[in-house]
Amino acid sequence: MPITPPSSERPRASRCGTLAGAAACLLAASLLSGCVARTEPADLFTLTPDMPKNRVMQTRMFETPNERELLSASAAVLQDLGFQVEESQREVGFLRATKERSAREYGQYVARVLVLILSLGKMLQPVDLHQQISAALITRPLNPEATRQEVRIMFYRVVWKGDGQADRQYIPPGAQYMEMIRDPEIYQQFFAKLSKAVFLEAHRI
Amino acid sequence: MKESTMKMTLLPAGLLLAGILSLQGCVAPQATQDLLAPTDAQMKMRSLQTRTFDLKDRNAAIRGVIASLQDLGFIIERANEGLGLVSAARFAEPNYYDVVTITVTVRQDTPEKMSIRANAIYNNKPIDDPKVYQNFFASLQRALFLAEESKPAS
Repeated sequence: MPITPPSSERPRASRCGTLAGAAACLLAASLLSGCVARTEPADLFTLTPDMPKNRVMQTRMFETPNERELLSASAAVLQDLGFQVEESQREVGFLRATKERSAREYGQYVARVLVLILSLGKMLQPVDLHQQISAALITRPLNPEATRQEVRIMFYRVVWKGDGQADRQYIPPGAQYMEMIRDPEIYQQFFAKLSKAVFLEAHRI
Repeated sequence: MKESTMKMTLLPAGLLLAGILSLQGCVAPQATQDLLAPTDAQMKMRSLQTRTFDLKDRNAAIRGVIASLQDLGFIIERANEGLGLVSAARFAEPNYYDVVTITVTVRQDTPEKMSIRANAIYNNKPIDDPKVYQNFFASLQRALFLAEESKPAS
């Protein structure tokens, strides 16, 4: 699922859809910012110091003139990893794929019970229930003869929380948050599979 | 008993009167002639959001836009080569609650010139800070320049 809804529906609106959701959003917003309307920071769209590190982790170069083959091999690898390809654009070498999994973690349930006991039964923390792991992949020729191609993939996940209770206030389920996946091992795994696939397919022709 | 029924009928009547009186103050808004006419603010926004680059290859320009957005940590959500359209989004770290969305359109003005327009939205409010767009185009310039650099002089 893309972060942004496709039509006029706005992300915040979708999260604050129901009245209960709106109340939770309001609560979250007031907790976060003390009721001040948040505006964009001025340093938006500036490159951050961790950019080169992420770029190195997310990018690999392949010595192949066939961008199309590389893209379809990438789709195949993503399918092997359990992803469903949601969107593709061959002309700009773009793929987006997602998979849905449970986000339940043992540790969170332990913490939930501990908080419940420590708060004398007043605070029931919401736990992560469901997650959607997404991958956005771009292939790009690096030279005009297009004999070298670059593949860049970004993994991220959107997590949905269950319900909870804070004193008498019921926290409805469905609150979501998102995080980039910055574990280098996941990227290494993907590229190992991809280079294997490209190698095999190169020989197959 | 009778007194209470009197009160019961008087209350809605009073409310109705109050309603009529308060409505009386309102005049139906008149649609003005220039309702959809372009305003100065719109023109200013457009010029903030648009830059022209000396580029010939439209596909390379779109790929440059995608590369610069990726460098900025954006996730590409949609790309359409035919329309020269790229949309991307990012949750503003570190709080992960604010969403930044950007749509970039690439249009070929003349065979030598490419016009690139970016619309950025923070949560559900359009960004009108010129500095933000300057930052974006500086980063785009860098990505396009790097792409130019890797081409051999022909």
